[in-house]
Amino acid sequence: MAPAADEAKSGNGGQIQRPFTFNEIVLRNRLTALVVDGDNFCRLLQQGILQAYGLQTQTVDNGDAAVELIASGAKFDLILIDMLLPILDGLEATRRIRAMGVNCKMLGVTAFSGERERQAFLAAGVDLFVEKPLGPEVLIPILRELDGQYPSI
Amino acid sequence: MERNPLRRQLQMMRKSFFDQGYLDDQFVQLEELQDEANPNFVEEVVTLYYRDSSRLILSIEQALERKPFDFNKLDAYMHQFKGSSSSIGAKKVKAESTLFREYCKSGNKEGCMRCFQQLKKEYATLRKKLEAYFQLARQAGPMETACRPK
Repeated sequence: MAPAADEAKSGNGGQIQRPFTFNEIVLRNRLTALVVDGDNFCRLLQQGILQAYGLQTQTVDNGDAAVELIASGAKFDLILIDMLLPILDGLEATRRIRAMGVNCKMLGVTAFSGERERQAFLAAGVDLFVEKPLGPEVLIPILRELDGQYPSI
Repeated sequence: MERNPLRRQLQMMRKSFFDQGYLDDQFVQLEELQDEANPNFVEEVVTLYYRDSSRLILSIEQALERKPFDFNKLDAYMHQFKGSSSSIGAKKVKAESTLFREYCKSGNKEGCMRCFQQLKKEYATLRKKLEAYFQLARQAGPMETACRPK
């Protein structure tokens, strides 16, 4: 279902009726996520968004730290990774994470919007290339899919 | 129709942000994350954005003063700035960021400098508007309080 045109009428704190709102989804399972973004603001914002959905979320600010964390045994249902990262860039970090046999959902969330970047990130191993900002129309179906992978209680 | 005059003023102010192209849908999505557990989420996000991005603005300013121009460095800074700006729905700021990057790619120094001046103007204008908006929102109080019977 595509999001409707902007129909927000109420002011700050009011109820807004629209499909794919951040607050519409309720997850049955406690999903885990890793946010890899070198920009402090974007990292904290994405963490805040995922936490608002109920995901237990960790963050790192460079590709090398992401690879180290996963190599240490940390497991995540979802990884959001930026392309431009300090120390080790997102493309190489993604390749190394996939080479470790990690099959979880990975979203390449980046300010890049070109086709060349998209192909490169997909080739490196992300499941989806998302131009910032990450919105609910992309995130909600993915969270539902991940939530549905766990058996119902 | 909102009866509380402050609330009405707040709604009109907010609507103008979208009508005049200052903000896009991403801002609405941030508002939807705001609830009783996070009553000031949007203001906190915007405050963090301006705090963090001001360092980038300074870096770009300094890079524009250096000779020779390092277009790659400028592009990298602006790439980061564009990402943050789009994350709060800063539509005009994002548009100027995109244009700046085009000028970097084509090695157009004058274009970069002109565009950056415009970007700073839009950045500052949005900041003033949002500061006024949040101040009014605090005066207006939460919707539930405004409607609570005596």
